[in-house]
Amino acid sequence: MPSGAAAKRVMLLAGLVMVALLIAGFVVGAIGSQMFGTTRFLAQPAIHLPPQPVFPFSAVKTSLGYGSDYDAKKEKAEATADSEHPPAAEAGDHGDGAEEEHHFTPLGVSEFAITNTLLSAWVASLVIILFFVLGARKKAMVPGRFQSLVESIFEGVLSFGSSVLGRDMARRTFPVVATIFFFVLFNAWIALFLVPLYQAVGFGSGGLWDFKLEAHLIRPAGTDVNMPLALALISFVFVEYWGIRTLGLGYFRKFFAFGNLLRGRPSGLIDIFVGILELISELVRIVSFTFRLFGNMTAGEILVVMITFLVPFVANIFVFGLELLVGLIQAVIFAGLTLVFLSLAVHHEEH
Amino acid sequence: MVELGINLPLLIAYLVTFVILVAILYQFAYKPLMAAMDQRTERIQEGLSAAERAREDAASSQAAIEEQLNEARREGQRLLDQAREASQRFRETEMERARQEAEAFAERARADIQRERDAALEELRASFGDLAITAAERVIRRSLDRQAHEELITQVLEEGESLRRG
Repeated sequence: MPSGAAAKRVMLLAGLVMVALLIAGFVVGAIGSQMFGTTRFLAQPAIHLPPQPVFPFSAVKTSLGYGSDYDAKKEKAEATADSEHPPAAEAGDHGDGAEEEHHFTPLGVSEFAITNTLLSAWVASLVIILFFVLGARKKAMVPGRFQSLVESIFEGVLSFGSSVLGRDMARRTFPVVATIFFFVLFNAWIALFLVPLYQAVGFGSGGLWDFKLEAHLIRPAGTDVNMPLALALISFVFVEYWGIRTLGLGYFRKFFAFGNLLRGRPSGLIDIFVGILELISELVRIVSFTFRLFGNMTAGEILVVMITFLVPFVANIFVFGLELLVGLIQAVIFAGLTLVFLSLAVHHEEH
Repeated sequence: MVELGINLPLLIAYLVTFVILVAILYQFAYKPLMAAMDQRTERIQEGLSAAERAREDAASSQAAIEEQLNEARREGQRLLDQAREASQRFRETEMERARQEAEAFAERARADIQRERDAALEELRASFGDLAITAAERVIRRSLDRQAHEELITQVLEEGESLRRG
């Protein structure tokens, strides 16, 4: 542990290195290369909304538009930022690959391939499982550091749920709500923590020096519209399930409010109109859930990619801090709105 | 739709992933964590109530000890008072007895003195009477009735004595 003057010197040195990297990044970045005529460090990134397949290779080939003669073994041109000796054959074979204009063909609506987003969702799920199972494995009465971290996160989510739904309902709905929270959170953060893997590993064309990454191996699942949509559907079904379970068929009374009209009151027309509005708002939630998360994650992704393109190396630190916050906020919003809709569905009778 | 990336199998894959994740987390994380938390809450509750009980016990035993101390103090005070009283009584009786003894002694001494004096006086009177008689015989040269004389002398002496005592 450096103390006093030594620590100060380390801090100063780190600061100087940061500034140097910032300047270097500016010079070799997109802006600097235009101004000073330097070689660009990174190729211009291509932004794709649809996820890209990473498995099986035939799907990769199809989506990236490689010919059928393309050798699958050569195709998997994996390279990390600091990898210095890929197979020599690869460097020679793809000399003309960079010039080809690859247009990316997304998967059809019913075509299946494991995409980079799905892979990253699985990685995130594994991390969540590891985190919690390791945290819950030892049941010491007096917890250690890791266990108390896991437990305090757990308790935090539980007390958040309790504040909206009350203790009993919060405990019963906890598994789904908490999993939504952690799934969104870890999926948003996984790209930030796996950044070398994310930014530099994948399929592409070109050799070692002019390698062009065309499909990342890992891409945050939130940027794939299917993942927010899946969560939104789960949230929707979960809310409706609890509404029906607590209120029975009476739950549907708020959507199909014919009661007053059948009793001959003209105000029943208004009730029917309100019921239709309720029904629409219930369904619109799916869309808003989906595009809120999708939009935030995609915007963050594009921001990270663009800042990296403009000023490589360290300028991204600020964006990373922002993105960590955005991930947390989105997780809280997704889980929190699910809780709020749950409480609306469950306590509707009281209105 | 395709440009946005909507894809049915992927959607299903995410749904399945999520459901499996919920199942695994529920089985291996949420349930044990919840149980551990409840257990801990229970333990803390127990501990708190035990502490409360202990505090009450301590308070009551404190009161009991206080009571015993007071009792002991009172007892001690009582014993002390008793002892003081006893000693007082003892001193008084002793003093009374001593005074009585002293008085008796003095009385006896006085009686002795009286007796001695009486005896001495008697003796003196006797010898004085004889002496007076002898003296008178010698003075008046005649023998008087001895009996009459003695009576006369005794009378004189008694008069003298009563005069002196008065």
